[in-house]
Amino acid sequence: MSRKSYIGRLMDQKTLMLMSIPFVIWLFIFRYLPIWGWTIAFQHYRPGTGLWEQKWTGLDNFRLLFQEEAFYLVMRNTLAMSLINLVLGFATAITLAILLNELRSVLFKRVVQTISYLPHFISWVVASSIIVTALSIDSSGIVNLILMKLGLINEPILWLAEGKYFWGILGVSEVWKNVGWNTIIYLAAITAIDPAQYEAAEIDGANRMQRILYVTLPGLKPIIVLLLIMNIGNILESGFEPQYLLGNGLTADYSDNLDIFVLKYGIAMGNFSFATAAGVFKTVISIALLFGANYMAKRFGQERLF
Amino acid sequence: MKGSHTRYFALALATAVLLAGCAKDNGAPSSGSAAPASASLSAENSAPPELQPATFTYFNAASAGKDGNTNETTLGKILEEQTGVNFRIEHLVGDLNTKLGVMLAGGDLPDVVVPDAGIDKMLDAKAFIPLNELLEQYGPNLKKLYETYWDQLPAEDGNIYIIPFAASKGFVPDMYQPGAFYIQRGVLKEFGYPKLETLDEYFDLIKRYKEKYPQINGGSTIGFEALTDDWRFFTLTNPAANLAGLPNEGEVYVDMATKQAHVTGDTEFTKRWLQTLNKANDDGLFDKESLVAKYDQYIAKLSGGRVLGFFDYGWQITPAVQNLLQTGDDDRMYMGFPLVLDKGVREQYMDPPVFATNRGIGITTSAKDPARIIQFFDNMVKEENQKLLFWGEQGKTYEVDDKGRFYRTKEQIEQRDPEFQQSYGFKYFSYYWPMGAGLYEDGNAYFPDRQPEVIAASYSEGDKKILEAYGLQVFTDVYHEPADVEERKWYPVWTAAKQQGSPEQMFEQKKMDLQRKWFPRLILAEPDKFEAMWEEYAAQFRKLDVKTYEDWANGVIQDRLAGKKR
Repeated sequence: MSRKSYIGRLMDQKTLMLMSIPFVIWLFIFRYLPIWGWTIAFQHYRPGTGLWEQKWTGLDNFRLLFQEEAFYLVMRNTLAMSLINLVLGFATAITLAILLNELRSVLFKRVVQTISYLPHFISWVVASSIIVTALSIDSSGIVNLILMKLGLINEPILWLAEGKYFWGILGVSEVWKNVGWNTIIYLAAITAIDPAQYEAAEIDGANRMQRILYVTLPGLKPIIVLLLIMNIGNILESGFEPQYLLGNGLTADYSDNLDIFVLKYGIAMGNFSFATAAGVFKTVISIALLFGANYMAKRFGQERLF
Repeated sequence: MKGSHTRYFALALATAVLLAGCAKDNGAPSSGSAAPASASLSAENSAPPELQPATFTYFNAASAGKDGNTNETTLGKILEEQTGVNFRIEHLVGDLNTKLGVMLAGGDLPDVVVPDAGIDKMLDAKAFIPLNELLEQYGPNLKKLYETYWDQLPAEDGNIYIIPFAASKGFVPDMYQPGAFYIQRGVLKEFGYPKLETLDEYFDLIKRYKEKYPQINGGSTIGFEALTDDWRFFTLTNPAANLAGLPNEGEVYVDMATKQAHVTGDTEFTKRWLQTLNKANDDGLFDKESLVAKYDQYIAKLSGGRVLGFFDYGWQITPAVQNLLQTGDDDRMYMGFPLVLDKGVREQYMDPPVFATNRGIGITTSAKDPARIIQFFDNMVKEENQKLLFWGEQGKTYEVDDKGRFYRTKEQIEQRDPEFQQSYGFKYFSYYWPMGAGLYEDGNAYFPDRQPEVIAASYSEGDKKILEAYGLQVFTDVYHEPADVEERKWYPVWTAAKQQGSPEQMFEQKKMDLQRKWFPRLILAEPDKFEAMWEEYAAQFRKLDVKTYEDWANGVIQDRLAGKKR
């Protein structure tokens, strides 16, 4: 296309362009300017002193990060917990959305939807208290109580003291807290599927299961792929609050993730440079993953982000 | 081509915005803090210059509280009448390091800062002004108050940057107990108020009581409760040295003969402490859940009245004690004992008056009129003003008997509610200013809650009964007086400042990570596996940078012995 027509199109859309300017400025100030702060990662940063008075240390902070034994452990935990959350999050949200969609009673559907997304609005501080109490070995621990009544275990288990249970507990807690909220977007996508497709399928003799498999799921595919790409970009964000609040010394080998590591060895020690180096590392990996996932989607001829 | 021009233009614009932002930041604090002072100067020209009203800003990073002006309180008003100075108080909300970092990076500093643990950051950024000359010129009362500690005030470069709190004269026991092994009064009553000395006696008593009363208040009796939540984990590690008859120096203990510091992590006494807990767990006395519980659950359990014993510090269990007081069942209240592992060992649970030189109040480079601030400080540490700030006004918040002893009536003691403390000004002036501690020249205690007359009147019937049973005046009488105070000039090592990201700081973090992982395991282990597990833990502990840490601690000890500030 010629340059002229580009300018021309720009002029045609000038109202839209003007409307977007505040957001572009916002984006620039809050998302791009702070990147300047990355310079801290290459210094022995002391707050309150000017840029030229800082001691520049090159890649020392990164070296420290990669030489730290605990770093590889927290990376493993971060990735493991992210993947668990990703898989469980997707599977449960899509299943619940489809099940809700199949319901006939609108009232029942609404009630289930509301109840299932309420926990999303509880802060993790409160939620973790609920979880700890539910898993207690005391008489108040409902989980142990039920398992004992069912005869599955003989004496109460101290769930939060076993590292190997931690990922599971975290996964289930995340599902409990977020499943309802996550279904909202899928329910919206389902309503966008053309009812004529269902009618056609019914006329062709498709039963309920087949309609789900051949109409609903393919209809959801674009949104699933899009969310998947975005979530893969966020895979190093395995969360902070639940791990911090539910974890303890006994489970630290499984519960400490990158964010907690940065908090303990960076910010809490006033070592801002180290914390920034970890942040830079995280961002670079995230961008790489995002592009990778997008590229893969393109290769397989799926929907993609850009 | 046009495209790239626009891009350059955008870049230039961005740079301009950036620069403008920076310039504004640097200019703001000076104009901001100057404005109110000059405005009030012109308003009351008739007053003598030293009484002209001025408002300074004060940031307290050490405690939470309500922000406001000191002259909105009774005490602050009196001080304002004396000096014309008012302080606008702001407290820390959120994370200390982040807040100070932002303050320093922005150059937007209050006039006066109490940086608490962030002191090194303030000094690193050269944010405090040297006070030596100001003190010389305007601080005769400050000099008098801090006389005995004067040579400890300067930093290594010879400048005084902060004025520490609580320059102590004379020793007064606290109304609240410091570290102690607490036990329910009901247990003590059951067995005829025995005097507890060793850890074994303590657990034996708990065991016998639990066997007799497996249930309390409808729940199963808990023998021993630990506190391990997050940074409060020291509550589980600190008792080890105390049990061996050593004072609490933090991560090290000091051999008094050689003055050498050694880490406590792999010592015999730490092992014996954990082994005792391991045995208690095997006997079903230890509450396993306390290894994963949070602080609020811990407090809830103590408040529930079914925990027989625990180790803690008085200040950390206040909410539980308040709850128990409200139920009015004195048998479920606690009393603490300074226990040791072996009979006959002299315990050293109680700290001598500590003069912490790395905590204090400083005047920042943003302050317009540091002389006025020092004059205010100097005025507030006059003995009559110190009495005013801590005891209040005679006839209103305290009385004096015919022998000159201060006391409080029952009504005055009950004015403890936070609202009164705030509106009267006790809250703002309770600490975090230049101040004394200990005894006044006339022999009265500096703080009402350390005055025997006030303490005696504050005790409940149950308190009095158990004190009588043990022949004590106050609960702190169970402790020995601090030993070797003169010799232990360095005490305690843990107050020494550590550089940000330094090896000693790394050691402490890693040590804590390691112990948070291993101590619970060691406690929960099968008793016959304890030895092997301990060896495994000790081996990992020794892999940490122990040598550097001990060297650092020894450096602190030697410097402090030589009168240098650390």
